[in-house]
Amino acid sequence: MSNEARFVTLDANQAVADVAYRLSEVIAIYPITPASAMGEHADAWSADGRSNLWGTVPKVAEMQSEGGAAGAVHGALQVGALTTTFTASQGLLLMLPDLFKIAGELTPFCLHVAARTIATHALSIFGDHSDVMAARSTGMALLASGSAQEAQDFAAIGHAATLDARIPVLHFFDGFRTSHEITKVVPIDDATLLGLIPADGVRAHRARALDPDRPVVRGTSQNPDAYFQSREAVEPFYARFPAVLAATMARFKELTGRAYRLFDYVGHPEAEHVIIMMGSGAECAHETVDHLVGQGEKVGVLKVRLFRPFASEAFLEALPKTAKAVAVLDRTKEPGSSGEPLFQEVTAALVSSLQSGQRAALPRLISGRYGLSSKEFNPAMVKAVFDELQRAAPKARFTVGIRDDVSQSSLSFDSSFDIEPEDVSRAIFFGLGADGTVSANKASIKIIGEETPLYAQGHFEYDSKKSGSTTISYLRFGPRPIRSTYRIGRAQLIAVHDPEFLERRDVLAAAMPGSTLLLNSVRPPDAVWDSFPREVQEQLVRQRCRLMVIDAYAVAERAGLGRRINTVMQAAFFALSKVLPMDEAMQHLKRSVEDTWGRRGPEVVRRNLLALDSALDGLHEVPVPKEVRSERPRPPILAPGAPDFVQRVTRLLLEGRGDELPVSAFPPDGTWPTGTSRFEKRAIAIDIPVWQSDICVQCNFCTMICPHTAIQSKVYAPSELENAPSGFRSMPETFEAKLEGMRFSVQVAPEDCTGCGLCVEVCPAKDKKNPKRKALVNEALVNHREVEREAFAFFEGIESARLSELPIDKRSAALRLPLFEFSGACAGCGETPYIRLLTQLYGDRLIIANATGCSSIYGGNLPTTPYTTNREGRGPAWANSLFEDNAEFGFGMRLAVDVKAARARSLLTSLAAQLPTALVDGLLATGHGEAWIEAQRERVSQLDRLLSGMNVPEALALREMASMLVPRSVWIVGGDGWAYDIGYGGLDHVLASHEKVNVLVLDTEVYSNTGGQASKATPLGASAKFAIAGKATRKKDLGLLAMSYGHVYVAQIAMQARSAHTVEAFLEAERHPGPSLLIAHSPCIAHGYDLVKSPAQQKRAIGSGMWPLYRYDPRRVERGEPPLTLDSSTPRTDVAAYMEHEARFRMVELRSPERYAELLEASREAVRQRQALYEQLSRVQLPSEKNHG
Amino acid sequence: MSTDLTTRWLGLELECPLVVGAGPLSKDPKLLGEAVSAGAGAVVMYSLFEEQITAEQMAAHRFIDARVDTSAEAHSFMPDSDVFSMDAGPYLRQLERIRERVKVPVVASLNGTTPGGWTNYAKQLEGAGASALELNLYEVVTSPDESGEAVEKRQLEVVSAVVKSIDIPVAVKISPFYASVPAFVRRLELAGARGVTLFNRFYQPDIDLENLDVDRTLHLSTPTELPLRLHALALLSPNTGLSLACTGGVHTGLGAAKAILSGAHAVQLTSALLAKGPRHIGVVREELLHWLEEKGYESSAEARGILDFSSAPDSHAWERVNYARMLDGWTLD
Repeated sequence: MSNEARFVTLDANQAVADVAYRLSEVIAIYPITPASAMGEHADAWSADGRSNLWGTVPKVAEMQSEGGAAGAVHGALQVGALTTTFTASQGLLLMLPDLFKIAGELTPFCLHVAARTIATHALSIFGDHSDVMAARSTGMALLASGSAQEAQDFAAIGHAATLDARIPVLHFFDGFRTSHEITKVVPIDDATLLGLIPADGVRAHRARALDPDRPVVRGTSQNPDAYFQSREAVEPFYARFPAVLAATMARFKELTGRAYRLFDYVGHPEAEHVIIMMGSGAECAHETVDHLVGQGEKVGVLKVRLFRPFASEAFLEALPKTAKAVAVLDRTKEPGSSGEPLFQEVTAALVSSLQSGQRAALPRLISGRYGLSSKEFNPAMVKAVFDELQRAAPKARFTVGIRDDVSQSSLSFDSSFDIEPEDVSRAIFFGLGADGTVSANKASIKIIGEETPLYAQGHFEYDSKKSGSTTISYLRFGPRPIRSTYRIGRAQLIAVHDPEFLERRDVLAAAMPGSTLLLNSVRPPDAVWDSFPREVQEQLVRQRCRLMVIDAYAVAERAGLGRRINTVMQAAFFALSKVLPMDEAMQHLKRSVEDTWGRRGPEVVRRNLLALDSALDGLHEVPVPKEVRSERPRPPILAPGAPDFVQRVTRLLLEGRGDELPVSAFPPDGTWPTGTSRFEKRAIAIDIPVWQSDICVQCNFCTMICPHTAIQSKVYAPSELENAPSGFRSMPETFEAKLEGMRFSVQVAPEDCTGCGLCVEVCPAKDKKNPKRKALVNEALVNHREVEREAFAFFEGIESARLSELPIDKRSAALRLPLFEFSGACAGCGETPYIRLLTQLYGDRLIIANATGCSSIYGGNLPTTPYTTNREGRGPAWANSLFEDNAEFGFGMRLAVDVKAARARSLLTSLAAQLPTALVDGLLATGHGEAWIEAQRERVSQLDRLLSGMNVPEALALREMASMLVPRSVWIVGGDGWAYDIGYGGLDHVLASHEKVNVLVLDTEVYSNTGGQASKATPLGASAKFAIAGKATRKKDLGLLAMSYGHVYVAQIAMQARSAHTVEAFLEAERHPGPSLLIAHSPCIAHGYDLVKSPAQQKRAIGSGMWPLYRYDPRRVERGEPPLTLDSSTPRTDVAAYMEHEARFRMVELRSPERYAELLEASREAVRQRQALYEQLSRVQLPSEKNHG
Repeated sequence: MSTDLTTRWLGLELECPLVVGAGPLSKDPKLLGEAVSAGAGAVVMYSLFEEQITAEQMAAHRFIDARVDTSAEAHSFMPDSDVFSMDAGPYLRQLERIRERVKVPVVASLNGTTPGGWTNYAKQLEGAGASALELNLYEVVTSPDESGEAVEKRQLEVVSAVVKSIDIPVAVKISPFYASVPAFVRRLELAGARGVTLFNRFYQPDIDLENLDVDRTLHLSTPTELPLRLHALALLSPNTGLSLACTGGVHTGLGAAKAILSGAHAVQLTSALLAKGPRHIGVVREELLHWLEEKGYESSAEARGILDFSSAPDSHAWERVNYARMLDGWTLD
């Protein structure tokens, strides 16, 4: 036995990847939450030259989709390589066809799945077993683990067993709860792995490889005479698998001392009530059973390790014979089934045992669903299931963890049921995404886990915002292994890393008598108490809490760390938790800083050490008075005027109380109202722009570049200024002759601004007497919030001057009403301005098909969403289908729009005789432009009035779809991961059609949402995940591929630097009668620089030729002109001058100057060649029927 | 027999007094190799700026590390790898690569910002095989609270600390803006410096009249900047035991000859090579040789300093009185 005494603290993703990597020769990957980290680890290790168990560096290849990864896996397996991959959810679905093949061919292979919800009425990145259960018919063995330790161990066992048994293994563990939870794990060394892996199995696998020296054929097509029999020929392998797995587990025990069986029973040996389940929830059940058995109850939990092939014999053996009632819990939902998958297997096994006479009677069998999409599953819920089992007439099918007031399926539970022992320390931290709280807590767990005998657990929750996000960290440490796979209900320490949390949510909900509240606040300690809302004071007094205050911002600022307070708060945590003597803790903290930041360099280390050294000087205890003094309640989380649904549902989601909402609160089909982001006033900016009307030149650069629509401009009649609040500023409109006499205002939405600074950066107007003062000045939000809030409310109520007669250009476009506002995108996001512009141009008739990715998250992630409506209630209608099918999804929308419009025209024609001829002619005519759309809407209204008086079926039918006589603008929106990679096939097909769809590719040149993995849009020379050393191939020229069809309008645009060009391209694309493609340069945090500098950097991208601007308009051919217009001049800036400003290129140089030099030269050559090609193309005139006369 | 160009600078024997000055040329070992093949007697690398290293480290901390663990979907947004360093590593590796490529002495250049930084990086540069170290004392003093005396004291402490921390010779590259350059150079000598390089070229921002802003364009030196150097060389040459190097404004062999006649042991070229390519140093060398031969010097050493403050036929020409005369000369008739 080579069991080491040492522990490491890590999450399951890392633990599993570490094993899978060492046992593989080929790893084909594709990013998907929550499995991405496994691929990232494998890629990083491969890039660093780490060897596998056999002394070779595994070949790690990123594919264009999970389907591609599975295909590559299948191929690698066929040629005899030990191969693995990692995935989840939709990725697993895309792998299914290959998994059937791999299993059908009896191929040893172990796939690791961080189990995640399948998208149904909504996407969810969180954990349940719906993905894995969708794979249960593939023939893969399904192996479930419930903790990081188990996940690591089962990874090894899975790789070993598949080699022996030839049945491929799908090893899964719960997304986030297990994949991301950090715990203490005993690692497996190489020798142990070698001892476990059957050498014969490896040799046999390699011997089965396709090899022209001993050729065979696989993948034949079989006819009815052969298929059925040969399909049945695999059966002995499945029959044998449980025994092989059990033997592997036994060998694993010999090697490590850790014992697993196909079914592990925990509980009273003569249990009468038993829960059967798998995954991390079984750990919670285990803990609860231990507690209940300790209280004398005859209960138990049977943990299912091997779900498929379901080993009935082993199951019957493991289930206590004394069990009178059994509840099977499934973490998935199969609507319409007689029961969920595990329940069905258990039922079949028990019924068989009755039939065969093995059992004389069946226990009572009930089944329930729990934990969908990582829904909380805690001891109170486990207890509720046991309570249900004891009832005389329990619910045969139930849910637990929610309140189902629609189908009455749910079990009620006693949320005060708490079994956490007092010797387990529990702490909850509320942090801001960028303040480093989660990273610091991970470091703390590592210190506790590896420097003390204590067991530790860290679990982390993030909200869905990409700017100003909230993180919640849950830390436990105690003397025994921690099985508490649920939130902390009562915490001894609650750390609030920003005082704003006290105003927004009930952070003290988990406070218990004597809890400590550690608060970071800029207020002096003696002013803190009086600053609290009444609810906070009440809880602190009631629970007799201890209040500790620290101005971590000041400490961090003094140490040169800005607002990154993590090391300061970490020191305060150790001081208060007393998990280690402070001197010792400080030593570990300092070593941790050196280990973590040493790779960044000594200055980073020095500043963090400085922060550590001075942290505790600022920690003060504030006596908690015996009485509550505050009269101020916690402010409402919603802005005034929120509609009923937002008040009832959205409010609770925002307050972190969504779990309290019953089933009836939710739309059953995933349809939600738009325009809800405006009610969530986050106030996350530190500084906001304040408009200086005396020097503004009315260029609208600020409103055009704002990623959050948080600064807007409007032209309006002077009469609108009546009742303007005193803080509202206005000036005469001076830009447009047609608007003479009107007023102009620029207005910030202070509580929606993220403080990114882009508007101030691009503002060109300077005070002649004080050039530091621009027409927008950064000022502290706290000093301007009230005035600007009132001003913005007034601004929103102002009626805009009529703009429809004005030609649309970059300036007038910015004056139009945006119907996309206050999204949760990153501060400085380069994507969102394009979407806002799209809504300003066509928002009232816009249908958007949105690929999964950043734009679907900031566009459609609850609690609030940014697409909104105008005064008439019109606005973008938005839907997300999947990542891979978005072009087809939008294409289908176009077909439906056209069919409905054609039907409306047909009905109109059939009724023409009964309607005014001019009206019918007008309605049937085609046109474009704002004025025409307005007139058409008026005609439709007139038609509706006339139809309302006609009592014929055609008139009723036409009334239903007369609105379709106003053209719909169908846009297909997504990122480069979709357009260049996973959705390219569909995009290509849609562009190849003649349908009028517009495609907007928000090109960040990387998979942004999943954390910066390389796509085929990644430029040559850039470092990205899965291309750490710098991408060696050129960026795919998507535009050129689309141009090759000849009928597609194509433009490459860059809005921050060339907004006029962008507006022109949008207008041309929409007017183009066929498909159009806009490829939009989108600066992103994954490029590694301060995005406030992105306008200048985008200019460099254009000036260096890295991002040429062009428009390819097929209509020009008819005019005898070359279809391609090159809109950026010949590159004058060296590519190096562009690259050196972004960390993604600089990292390559730091890593290897030689490689950087090579890639730089290759980039220069690519730019030269593309420029030469485009220049030639822009001079090519194409013959056409029309221009040949 | 051709004219002997060998010179002794900072205790190093150079085949030629023409030296590649600190600048971007040394970022490309291939181009640097061409300059050496064309006759450069030594190379000074581009400066290692502690401030830049610090800024880059903190930028990475701010724009990469601060985005770690902020999202459920992405642990981070950029690849993480221990393989690259944001410290002096890239500079040290470049120094090693240059050493492998060229057979002439390689002088490292350092601009520090903290006392610990100066000595720490100096040791690393010595460890990487630098033949000598040129301390680039470039700083822009903006505080009215720090006197010139205090600035000089601080700079001398840096030089002294660096000299004590390493064994290779140390040259100090200074600006012309000292109340007494000779006195400061004397104190540098006492602090242990082996040479002085005259003068650093300050980054000189211009005014952007259109945008009411400061124009940060950096311009290359021109020959008009040479007389300031010649003047200082001439004054220092008879009064110091330090090696003297001229930098800034030498674009031709005749310019180099002037510097040598004024007392320079080494003549650094940077802007001229950036403008005309690394092989231009060969043209300068030929022109220098031609001039020396034409004037009948057997070696450049023989010509060195013969027009300095003590040797010039009219040494007063180097003094202030010359200034007064010139002003008189501008009087309108």
